[in-house]
Amino acid sequence: MLYDIVERSLKLCSRYGFNEFEVYVVNDVGTEVLGIDKGVEKVVSGEEFLLGVRVVMGRKVCVYGGMVSRVEDVDVLVNSASKIVRTLPEDRGWVSLPKKLGTSVVEGIVDVGIKDLELDRYVELVNYMIKKPRDVDRRAFTTNVNMYLGYVRRVITNNYGDVVEDERTRTSISVSVKVVDNGDESGYTENYSAPNLSRFNPDELVVKAVEGAVRGLRSKRVYTGSYDVVLMPRVFTSLINSLIAPALCADQVQKGRSPLKGMLGLKVFSENITVVDDGTYPGMLGSKCFDDEGIPTKRKVLIDKGVLMSYLYDTYTANIDSKESTGNAFRPTPHTVPKPWISNIVVERGNYELDTLISELRNGLVIYDVIGMWLSNPVSGLLNATVANAVYVDRGDVKHSVKGVVITGDVYELLKTDEVVLTSSKEVLGRYEVPAVYIPKISVAGEG
Amino acid sequence: MITTYEELASLALEEALKKGADHVLVRIQEKLYEVIIYDCGVLKSYSVGRVSGLGIRVLVSGGVGYVYTASLDRGGIVGSVEKALSIARSLSRYAQVGYVSIKPVKDFFKVNVGVDPYDVDPEVKVGLVKEVNTSSMRKDGIKSVVTRLAYEVDRKYITSSDGVSIKSEVTLVGFSHTAVAKYGMISEKVSNSKTFVGGYEFVESHDWLAFADEVDSLAIKASQAKTPTPGTYVAVLDNEAVGLLVHEAFGHASEGDLVITGSSVLRGMVGERVANELVSIVDEGVVDGGYPVPYDDEGVSKGRTVVVKDGILNEFLSSRYVGSRLGRRSTGNARVQDITYDSLVRQTNYYVEPKDLSIDELFEGVSHGIYVVGRGASGGEVDPSIGTYTFSIGPSYIIKNGEPTELVRGVVVSGNILETLMSVDAVAKDLKVVTNVFGGCGKDSQTVKVGFGGPHIRVRKLVVGGL
Repeated sequence: MLYDIVERSLKLCSRYGFNEFEVYVVNDVGTEVLGIDKGVEKVVSGEEFLLGVRVVMGRKVCVYGGMVSRVEDVDVLVNSASKIVRTLPEDRGWVSLPKKLGTSVVEGIVDVGIKDLELDRYVELVNYMIKKPRDVDRRAFTTNVNMYLGYVRRVITNNYGDVVEDERTRTSISVSVKVVDNGDESGYTENYSAPNLSRFNPDELVVKAVEGAVRGLRSKRVYTGSYDVVLMPRVFTSLINSLIAPALCADQVQKGRSPLKGMLGLKVFSENITVVDDGTYPGMLGSKCFDDEGIPTKRKVLIDKGVLMSYLYDTYTANIDSKESTGNAFRPTPHTVPKPWISNIVVERGNYELDTLISELRNGLVIYDVIGMWLSNPVSGLLNATVANAVYVDRGDVKHSVKGVVITGDVYELLKTDEVVLTSSKEVLGRYEVPAVYIPKISVAGEG
Repeated sequence: MITTYEELASLALEEALKKGADHVLVRIQEKLYEVIIYDCGVLKSYSVGRVSGLGIRVLVSGGVGYVYTASLDRGGIVGSVEKALSIARSLSRYAQVGYVSIKPVKDFFKVNVGVDPYDVDPEVKVGLVKEVNTSSMRKDGIKSVVTRLAYEVDRKYITSSDGVSIKSEVTLVGFSHTAVAKYGMISEKVSNSKTFVGGYEFVESHDWLAFADEVDSLAIKASQAKTPTPGTYVAVLDNEAVGLLVHEAFGHASEGDLVITGSSVLRGMVGERVANELVSIVDEGVVDGGYPVPYDDEGVSKGRTVVVKDGILNEFLSSRYVGSRLGRRSTGNARVQDITYDSLVRQTNYYVEPKDLSIDELFEGVSHGIYVVGRGASGGEVDPSIGTYTFSIGPSYIIKNGEPTELVRGVVVSGNILETLMSVDAVAKDLKVVTNVFGGCGKDSQTVKVGFGGPHIRVRKLVVGGL
């Protein structure tokens, strides 16, 4: 049916006399195994075909699409797009759809075990992870284990003639654990997200979840003030994703919604920070052969030793700046308008051992998890997050667990000083490969 | 040829029962979402998305399989039934799921729509968004503006082997405006939106230039404002801030699926005090200003559930499965984003009940505090297992000597929900509930429309972050 949808869409678009058109079809097969404390609760499974058409009349552009139940649904979707596009005002920034499509070679993005879905094996695995926490710590029990397994095929083509297609698998596994000890409770969740299961170790995932929950016991707030902090990779990832990644996207820069506007070639962060976007990185969640408008993915340095080197572009924003697309067009669904977004972010490692950084904290926090980082403001660079799992360190000694305090600051001030340093160890977390980071003097709102 | 939802659902239901299912639930859905976005004077997108298909859930010997398909033909449906049965049979080894019995209902619910948004000329809709957007872009101090007009039509048919047959059609329309103002090196973003359950007549009856002007003016003022000094404040929260706080920080913890897995801070607390006696909290299916959910996605009637009565935890929200685990009824809170998911326990319209005070009385006697305003809030996040929450609030005001005075920006509030609700010491009488066509409540990757709100309330201790 995938190719039937593509063919029918192309035929109809040609007939309607659009100046340009693009057809994007996705076949998504997904299965989710849901486990709770009592065992595997249910399995949800299904398959869908999604179509998005982007049609252009002069400089009038419309994107229309949705789920396709029968191949005849294509007629309704293209017909509607045709009706709407003629009524729209012109977009003066419009130049053209991409004229040349292509693919990169990317390894590790298809896992045969996921593609062929050995369901019984995965149900057993979820069942194992449900029972495992009690073996690690008798105070611990599982609250949820979810395992998603997906297989996606994509085809993109447009009126300029190229056709690109690829396939990927994806898995996302989470285990949530709670620990109860002498009337106190604490919870923690660990995740694994990747196109394959090569790095997946269920025991390690469960142990880390239990350790996180135990670390959160008997937590209290620290006093309001200024603290030196170590953000563990999960928190640093969250900071980059909420504050820095949006500011690197060309659409935000062009609309004046990025503090990085006009900063190309300038030092914006500590010289210890180098950030790369790489859609071809083997086996990472955001790895794929081409972006969501058919441009080959590639590696590009965004921040080099603290200096801003490039923004992220799709074709539309690249045309505005007279640049080439960086292969970063992103669409959550085929019927949404593309916009620039990260593929995979790799932050280069530093020279510091994590233990050394912690032992050198005089009055600091080591922050393992936060909530609400996404509520920070990428337009102003104002960081805001509530600590959900951390420890207070006094002169190198871990004193107690911390939660419920708010960290705030201007991220461009916080990360600019060369006192900011990174650890030599890194973690892969979905689309991110990131070390831990030491940041001096973050404002903390807590007691008093 | 099978053409109607009822015939398609009936085929799935009969096939599943014939092949050995103990219980069957079928959902058919067609959902249309259109959004027009103008960004800095340019039409950013006119996009339309459509979801349609069938989902079937079967129970066989305690095992549950849910399968969805976009293919609404005999082959696609029969294949889905067989797959669901196969999954359920293999899972019966691992878990014993059961459902509480219900009184089956047959009904058709449709929101009144004066002017169908689908029928309005695209040129008219685009013209309105363009006019508002370009007008804002001309103002001094405004650096970027995003204006959106959206509507959603959600048609569903739900049937089950125990006699449920519910058809529904809900239409929402809404308008949203986000302005970024810059003052020196400070950029500040302010958003506001209005949503109406019904048709395009709502859009036609409002002055959207005036609406946008308010947002723009506030953004300009906020960009010149300071951030609050971090610390603990006496706080008066407005209707939307209360709604956000209660929905996120307490509502999720009261969802029974989190309770049965031990993921809720409220586990084991029914009958215990969880809030000041001034606080009563309700989840109600149909409320003025909210999102109508007369029946949940298991076809169970969603009436009024009193979750907290005078500060005492009264009842958790539940579904048929969660009700069976809790030994209680289903409260009609099983909801799905669309047919590609099976249901979770979700809130419908969750709000704090009003009391007798005027808003002014809440400010009286507050020598130094903060007036927390929900308009433009970016949202919130909570860890329901421990009750920790955080919210990003819109531009708010420092209270001095009983009056809201200085505007502050970048306000983030945080705390533990039980401590916060225990510290409520005044509740006003001005109940307001709202919903939002542009977003919804997220849980386990699913987003559903909800309503939230309450009256103004005052709390004695609220942690506020800032620079």
